Amino acid sequence: MITRRTFGLSAGALALGATAGKALAQDKSAVRIAAIAPLSGAGAFDGQLAVEGMQAMAAVINGKGGVLGGRKIELVTYDDKGVPEEGVSAAKRALEQDKVDLIVGGWFSAVALAQKEVTRDKIINVMTSSQHPKVTEEGHKYLFRLNATSTMMSDRYAKFICEKMKLKSVAFITINDDYGRLEVENYRKLLGACNIEVKGNEFYNRNDTDFTTALTKLRSLNSDAIYVSAINTSQGATIYRQIRQSGYKGTIIASAGNMNPKLVELSGPALEGVYCVSLFAPDTDNASAKAWMAQYGKMFKNEPSFIGSLGAQAVEVLAGAMDKAGGAREYDKIAAAMKGQPWKTLLGEITFDGKGQALQNIYLIQVKNKKIVSAS
Amino acid sequence: MTAAPRMRALGAVAALAVLPWLTGNAFLQHMMVLWAIYALLALSLNIIVGYLGELSFGHAAFFGIGAYTSALLSMQWGVPVWLGPFLGAIVAGAFGLVIGFVALRIVGPQFAILTLGFGAILHTITNYWVDLTRGPMGISNIPPFSLGPIALDFAQARNMYYVALVFLLGVAYVCHALMTSRRGRAFIAVRENPALAASIGIDVFATKLHGFVVATAIAGAGGALYGHYLRVITPELMSLQYVAALIIMVIVGGKGTIVGPLIGALVYVSLLEMLRAAGPLRLVVFAALLTACVIFLPGGLVSLWRRLRERRLAPEPAGASA
Amino acid sequence: MDSDVFAQLVVFTQQVANGLANGMGYVLIAVGLTLVFGVLRIVNFAHGEFYMLGAYFTYYVTALAGIDYLGALVLATLAVAAIGIVANQFFFRPLRKEHEFTILLSSLGLALLMANGAEYVFGADPKYVPTRYADETLEIGPVVVTQQRVLVIAVAFAMIAATYWFIRHTRMGKMMQATAQNPEGAQLTGINTGFVHAYTFAFACGLAALSGALVGPTAMLTHTVGDWAVLKGFIVVVMGGLGSVTGALFGGILLGVAESLGGGYVSLGFKDAIGYAIIILVLLWRPQGLFSAGSGRR
Repeated sequence: MITRRTFGLSAGALALGATAGKALAQDKSAVRIAAIAPLSGAGAFDGQLAVEGMQAMAAVINGKGGVLGGRKIELVTYDDKGVPEEGVSAAKRALEQDKVDLIVGGWFSAVALAQKEVTRDKIINVMTSSQHPKVTEEGHKYLFRLNATSTMMSDRYAKFICEKMKLKSVAFITINDDYGRLEVENYRKLLGACNIEVKGNEFYNRNDTDFTTALTKLRSLNSDAIYVSAINTSQGATIYRQIRQSGYKGTIIASAGNMNPKLVELSGPALEGVYCVSLFAPDTDNASAKAWMAQYGKMFKNEPSFIGSLGAQAVEVLAGAMDKAGGAREYDKIAAAMKGQPWKTLLGEITFDGKGQALQNIYLIQVKNKKIVSAS
Repeated sequence: MTAAPRMRALGAVAALAVLPWLTGNAFLQHMMVLWAIYALLALSLNIIVGYLGELSFGHAAFFGIGAYTSALLSMQWGVPVWLGPFLGAIVAGAFGLVIGFVALRIVGPQFAILTLGFGAILHTITNYWVDLTRGPMGISNIPPFSLGPIALDFAQARNMYYVALVFLLGVAYVCHALMTSRRGRAFIAVRENPALAASIGIDVFATKLHGFVVATAIAGAGGALYGHYLRVITPELMSLQYVAALIIMVIVGGKGTIVGPLIGALVYVSLLEMLRAAGPLRLVVFAALLTACVIFLPGGLVSLWRRLRERRLAPEPAGASA
Repeated sequence: MDSDVFAQLVVFTQQVANGLANGMGYVLIAVGLTLVFGVLRIVNFAHGEFYMLGAYFTYYVTALAGIDYLGALVLATLAVAAIGIVANQFFFRPLRKEHEFTILLSSLGLALLMANGAEYVFGADPKYVPTRYADETLEIGPVVVTQQRVLVIAVAFAMIAATYWFIRHTRMGKMMQATAQNPEGAQLTGINTGFVHAYTFAFACGLAALSGALVGPTAMLTHTVGDWAVLKGFIVVVMGGLGSVTGALFGGILLGVAESLGGGYVSLGFKDAIGYAIIILVLLWRPQGLFSAGSGRR
């Protein structure tokens, strides 16, 4: 079983171990999956949740006997600091130095866009939470992406906002990056189409901690709702709290895909009743999700989150595809297997299109009594 | 240069030239390229810190300007990639000229904070001028260096290493030549005692500006090399993280020498990579080693060697630069 | 039309109020930084990390030990001041005779050590320092300020006044002044400058911790907040004049209000650059700082 200690194990030490292992038993050596995530810097917590999700799923699979007739899954973690150039270096190290079998990464769009060029046509690379359409646009043959693109998310969410929320106007506070810019662009179109007036938008930076200036401007617009586009848990919680502290009384709409128990805990009363769309609803009765959540609870003190569930799904799908392909390095066969059939995962049944983009179920969720629950 | 140091320098060059052939490991070669580029940057900062005796907290901005200049020129206007480092140097040097002209009137901690301010503003502009720089998303798919007829792929670490090494050796030679020239002695005079330097007819301001522009231009060339090698750049290049990294390289290695920054860059690149074994404690151990080095070896790692040599050859005084 | 003008006026007043609250937070951070520069001649990059520690200690004492926020704030301040004594002893005292870059790098190393150590010890998960004042607002007409921010403003004013009085009227304060003006001279008159240094450093660290405990609850707490704090502190210190306590007061308010109005009316994206733009102008026009009588061109 993978414990917290292995989490910290060095890539270098693992490389040594792997060489020693090879001599002993080729077939029973672990399948090594690189987990490249932001483990330091501003995105460190979200990266930690992601890696924990992967580890819990690896433990579930290893507990059931592993993959490929008894090989264990071993994760090798790399810190990309949420920065593209670090992501490139990490991917190079995983590929050239540590010679891992598979790569899971791409939590931030900018990192994913840079990283995919390093791994292109060399190794199976599953991108996780990045939402930028360009990640899978070109359709490299070994590249996959799990998260719904922001276009798919906003289509679903806008439908709900238009039909159910009875708003006349909305204002945005948006992270200044690919994700945020694309999101606000989508909603301007989609909400405009159902006659919700977009009264304004303010961009903020990745390192900002005080949003009162922006919120004062937004409050003065008197819109019915403020849409918060935030990926980072810490910034998200600060914004939700400061919206209420600024005296804004309207509706808060939470950014698609960012909801997690930590955010709910940190945001306090500010998030009560707030809706969100997500691929993961914690009150699901999916058996795989339940096993994963139970395992997660045993291993980590954080609660299972959406971002962790994506990491888990990456491991789950890769394990299934490896078994089908009959090898950890049969990349053509693994890619064909992934695209060839629907996969039953902890997030429900998904399929991949020809370019490696997953088609996921998108659920509407809501914060009720400090819990994230399914809504309709 | 007397015979012995010349032989030593040639030996070092030869060793650096065969280095990438000692391993077939592409990742180690990648580390070598990073070392060569960081060493180049550290050498450039050393001109300001070690020779002019001022601390710049804005140096990473010039690195970033070079990287963006070269990437944008090659991608948007089809300027040949090989011109990139030179154009990057010119543009970064031009910024250095303007900023240096303004900032060098002030000395000491105020100068350091002034450069911090200029660096932060350039960083912010890069971050927000989305139409030009693509903002925080950065620029990806930057074309690598290539030599068409010979079909050398410089995205390959081993090939790129030689490009970076040529630039590094060139800059090291320029630094050496500079410091043994009249201009170099003027630098030292300005560093040690500006009032005295002025009294013997040295134009202190012009001397400093000269050094500052050379340093920023070299940083610009380094930025271009970095961009065409990693093929992705973001405004993070201009952040304090890189500023701190460069300062650490120069001071841990030993400021005011040529070997010092090279060693500093080596320690920085390799130590961080080796310390991955420390897992979550990686950066804690790194910071502890760094601080210990500063406290126990204030002259940098080169002073260790000098100390040993002095102990052996007690009567001979140590040279000012290696 | 009239209601439009009124609405504009409300927004303006609100932005000034926001700026004042943020600015007084900056003042609290900057006072310690400026004292350390004035007395010890150290540009202390680790100052922000003591702010970070203050916020974390307050969090642990309130959230885990269940002690009231105001009590926790005092405990955190004292604990961090004690840590400051140790930090000075190991990281700065041995380097007194070294080049200023070496001392600066030592502070940079200490900052890296503390920030990364905090991630290791406290975890990467963001935390929220619970106070009952954070979500309670004070509404003056249409202008809304949280009670926490009012507390920041009040404590900052009180601390500035106390610090000013302390330096002017106590024996230790006078020794600090003497050491700042002429370390050798102070030593000759029998002042134990080593003790004065340790005292000043601990005092500054305590102030940093206090600001962390007060400003921390306005946002989420992570191990990276120290960077933010020390940069804001530097800007204020340079604006007000290195080593000047009253300068820090005016510099902080100026920075807070300028950021708030600049962000509100010019460009939010460039909000963080506003402070830097001001210090460039200040340094070129009056290198000794806007509010300092002393000469800056040393």
